[in-house]
Amino acid sequence: MALFPLVSNVEEDFVLQLLPVDTENTMDEVAAAAAYHSVGRRVAARPGKILRVRRQGSEELLPRDLRVSESGLLPMECIEVVWEAPHAGA
Amino acid sequence: MATLGRLDWYEIARTTNWTPKYVKEDELFPPEMAGSMGLPLTAWEAYDEPYKQTYPEYVKVQREKDAGAYSVKAALERSKMFENADPGWLSVMKVHYGAIARGEYSASTAEARMARFGKAPGMRNMATLGMMDEIRHGQIQLYFPHEHCSKDRQFDWAHKAYDTNEWGMIAARHMFDDIMVTRSAVGVALMLTFAFETGFTNMQFLGLAADAAEAGDWTFSNLISSIQTDESRHAQIGGPLVSLLVANGKKEEAEKLVYIAIWRAWKLFSVLTGPIMDYYTPLEHRKQSFKEFMQEWIVTQFERALLDLGLDKPWYWDNMIAEIDTQHHGMHLGVWFWRPTVWWNPAAGVSTEERAWLEEKYPGWNESWGKCWDVITENLIEGKRELTYPETLPLVCNMCQLPINTTPGPAWKVRDFPLNHKGRTYHFCSEGCKWCFEEEPERYEGHLSLVDRFLAGMIQPMNLGGALQYMSLAPGEIGDDAHNYAWVDKIIAERFKKAG
Repeated sequence: MALFPLVSNVEEDFVLQLLPVDTENTMDEVAAAAAYHSVGRRVAARPGKILRVRRQGSEELLPRDLRVSESGLLPMECIEVVWEAPHAGA
Repeated sequence: MATLGRLDWYEIARTTNWTPKYVKEDELFPPEMAGSMGLPLTAWEAYDEPYKQTYPEYVKVQREKDAGAYSVKAALERSKMFENADPGWLSVMKVHYGAIARGEYSASTAEARMARFGKAPGMRNMATLGMMDEIRHGQIQLYFPHEHCSKDRQFDWAHKAYDTNEWGMIAARHMFDDIMVTRSAVGVALMLTFAFETGFTNMQFLGLAADAAEAGDWTFSNLISSIQTDESRHAQIGGPLVSLLVANGKKEEAEKLVYIAIWRAWKLFSVLTGPIMDYYTPLEHRKQSFKEFMQEWIVTQFERALLDLGLDKPWYWDNMIAEIDTQHHGMHLGVWFWRPTVWWNPAAGVSTEERAWLEEKYPGWNESWGKCWDVITENLIEGKRELTYPETLPLVCNMCQLPINTTPGPAWKVRDFPLNHKGRTYHFCSEGCKWCFEEEPERYEGHLSLVDRFLAGMIQPMNLGGALQYMSLAPGEIGDDAHNYAWVDKIIAERFKKAG
């Protein structure tokens, strides 16, 4: 367990933000942490949809239960947190 | 006694280059201070300044001009302008004075570098007057806001801001230090006088003077119009230098420095000038939109100046023109959302009528920036103000030091432009800022952005309180909504009326 800083870029928000997470967090937990700073503050919630994590520039969503420590993400790497209908590729 | 006309003696008196016998030319004009690009002293004598003025003329004109500005101030001191001004307008003044006043002193050292190390006699003469201009501008822009300090502590930041680690100030200092404090005489002439003062200060001072006059703030309007007449004189130091460098085969070297400075100036203006023109200045007093000012003063006039002097348009010109539509909206939203971290009270500027104006001036605003403001507005209407404050830091760019942001909403385009350099990852907001870094990495690689400092544990405690303390923002100084959220009450009233 260790503090791990990421940069979060939530879909439809306007700014990149510092996102401190833990190496043991799953991608779902990372998405929730990112949402805390954007959704309901500057980005409208989307009932029925969930947020998924991908690396900047990649279309491939990281598995929801993948832990930060297993993900290959680097400290301060920019992650995109994007909306997805829960059935698609969940 | 009859005296000769200026033109009868000016050129003879100006010819102050000589052949040094006791020291080498490079000792008299060290290349790192002169920035002479290997050109000999004789090449510099072709420099011919377009605006010729002598010291006695300077003193006479400036004395009269300053007396005019001071007397307008004295006459209007009891006018209750402060009490009657729209709070958005007071914020315009606070931003301007804090970001600019002390920077003028820095600018005077830059002018002094040209006055001492410029190899062209005409440049030295103009820069001597320019140096005095900047000292006067520093003094006058500290004296004028001082009368407001007793009524509003944020005005104290006219003097205080430059010494702090407030994030906007780090950005302003990083840019001004880069283009004027740490460059050679030639570097200053190209970056400060030609790139920055020709276009950007014109817009700041003339644009704001127009808005100030509309807002009835004659003191401020008179002050900054007066300053601009000096700027437009000493800004002409750069033009003949560009011609000289092009004629001596140094076009690419000149372009590089000019391009870096224009890009950096653009970024700073997107946070300082864009929001005050399009959001803080009361709607009825807006002369033109920021975009219109930018198109007139920077795109059209500056482009012509570049081409006329034999330089090409910068590679990023189209990117910059595209950003004129978008960048300052995000800067404004960021400043407002992180409002406890600035020394002024940002005016939201998003009432129903203001949004209609924004949509007219920037088609698509409602579908992008408006989407974020919709969420903020609903939170305020529902009494959830806590959701309109930040609980983390924005990532700032390692060049412009400003939050990395761009278009939100369905056309979401936000992204990081990272660069790995000597094992450290730097984050940039754009190809332009990344390019500036890559051109001269050794200049910038050691600097820590506010976020880098936070991660290095230099800001303690690691929360908003610690950050405010680090930025020297004391209670009574931290920013909040300029109109105390009255615009939200207006929207609620409109909704009631509509609902019947």
